[in-house]
Amino acid sequence: MPSTPPEASARCRIDVKGIRKTFFAQDGGERREVVAVDDASFRIGDGEFVALLGPSGCGKSTILNMVATLIAPNGGAIEVDGAPVIPGRPTRHVGYVFQKDTLFPWRTVEDNIGYALELAGVPVAERRTRVAEAIHAAGLDGFARFYPSALSGGMRQRVSLMRTLITQPEILLMDEPFGALDTHTKLEMHSVLLGLWERTRQTVLFVTHDLGEALTLADRVLLLSARPGRVKDDFRIDFPRPRNAVALRETRQYAELFQRIWHSLGEEFAKGHVP
Amino acid sequence: MSRRASTLFWQVAFGVGALATWQWGWDLHDKVPWLVPDIFDPYFVSRPSDIFQLFLRMSCLVSKDDAWTPGTTGAFAACMGRSENNLWIATYFTLKNTLCGFAVGVSSGFALGLLLGRSDRLSEIFYPYITAFNSVPRIALAPIIILAFGIGDASKVVTAVLVVVFLVFFNTFEGARSVDRDHINAARLLGASEWQVTRTVIMPSTMAWLFASLSPAISFSLIGVIVGEFIGAEHGIGRMIIEAEARGEAAGMMVSVFVLMIVGVILSAIVSRIQGYLLRWRPARGQTL
Repeated sequence: MPSTPPEASARCRIDVKGIRKTFFAQDGGERREVVAVDDASFRIGDGEFVALLGPSGCGKSTILNMVATLIAPNGGAIEVDGAPVIPGRPTRHVGYVFQKDTLFPWRTVEDNIGYALELAGVPVAERRTRVAEAIHAAGLDGFARFYPSALSGGMRQRVSLMRTLITQPEILLMDEPFGALDTHTKLEMHSVLLGLWERTRQTVLFVTHDLGEALTLADRVLLLSARPGRVKDDFRIDFPRPRNAVALRETRQYAELFQRIWHSLGEEFAKGHVP
Repeated sequence: MSRRASTLFWQVAFGVGALATWQWGWDLHDKVPWLVPDIFDPYFVSRPSDIFQLFLRMSCLVSKDDAWTPGTTGAFAACMGRSENNLWIATYFTLKNTLCGFAVGVSSGFALGLLLGRSDRLSEIFYPYITAFNSVPRIALAPIIILAFGIGDASKVVTAVLVVVFLVFFNTFEGARSVDRDHINAARLLGASEWQVTRTVIMPSTMAWLFASLSPAISFSLIGVIVGEFIGAEHGIGRMIIEAEARGEAAGMMVSVFVLMIVGVILSAIVSRIQGYLLRWRPARGQTL
């Protein structure tokens, strides 16, 4: 499918212009420069849910982390809401959900979720109400006083999600947040995320290597090439919303789109395996 | 018999057997010399009955003429008024100095470990000195400390602090260096300032390492105080042991050792309870949903 110009959407929230990232890797005895991301460009409009899809090692998480200010690009520029991002200085209104479990193990579910409010000095009473709402929205009722170590992987990831969403970010960056979950739990999490997002419609950049996940959730799928990563294709996913994460997978349109992107993705996976 | 009951049975049997051998074994020394070796001469190790008798007297439970003090008005108070060979007073001083040394040692070790663990520059500069100092057996410094701080409580506390501080320092240092980078990033992305990252991420995750060192720290603190008291003290159980040794009174030493054992057991039990409470968030095996 030919790419739809992103300008078609409303106001541009994230503008990535020709970013490049190289790092050094030990190759036998010598240090070799590896180009992880090369000249990647894309724009994300307000309220868009965009999936960044690519084979492992193609630099998709690197791109996300550069947008999140966690790492600095070697070239190019990133603008969020028209202002250039400064590495090491998290941008306001931008939330980030990790792939790895980064809940604070010494805090209970409610204290993890309320963490950002605590930092911002939100009064205890208001904090309690908002945390209770978030716990309810994520279907975690009854687990408020549990420590993360007592929760399953899926529940922990829900807590992670709410810990970020409670700050009401306008832009949400997600790094394969369900990558470590089993298929069933993953589908469940898709429903949870769709349910939450279709009400609030933040701008989302969602990194994944799972095509099914990208199709289920996103409005657009940006396909990255094998390393060095650059945007190879831009697919618009026009499934109506609200979507049903399970029923959607049974439809013909889903199967057709899956086939088409799968083919394109397969080429990149093959390249990724060439030594 | 259940496994638990059988364990209990053998524990009691072993204890009773050992005590009985200690009490009456020496009487059989001439007939069955292989049962009780020469070093178990009551002159060196005393006997349970004598130790118990002396314990009652030293703890003011019986007076000099072996009458129970709780029956006689004012006898207990009169006995408590004398500081010579008084177990209560000695235990009070030893315990007080142990807890002081523990508190000061743990807090300064934690502060130091946190500071050096989070500052690459400082740890780079000071690490060789710390490792060098750490290889000195701290007990070897006790005489110097007594010389510098006198025979009062201060010298015992300082000895205990020196023993405890390194233990806690190295634990905290390791902990502060191994804070999960992703936890720090998560906090930053959720809007934490540098100080908030320190307070809400670095300190709590380092605490887990600190708590792990509390149990050995309390035992080490007690060792420090006792060694200090051996060398020179006005009060304390360590001093009582040295005095009993000077008098060649085995039962006196044994009473003190017995009291130290009780003190040690109680202190460790309290510390592990506190530790268990503070680390309640840690995964317990088989508890994940």
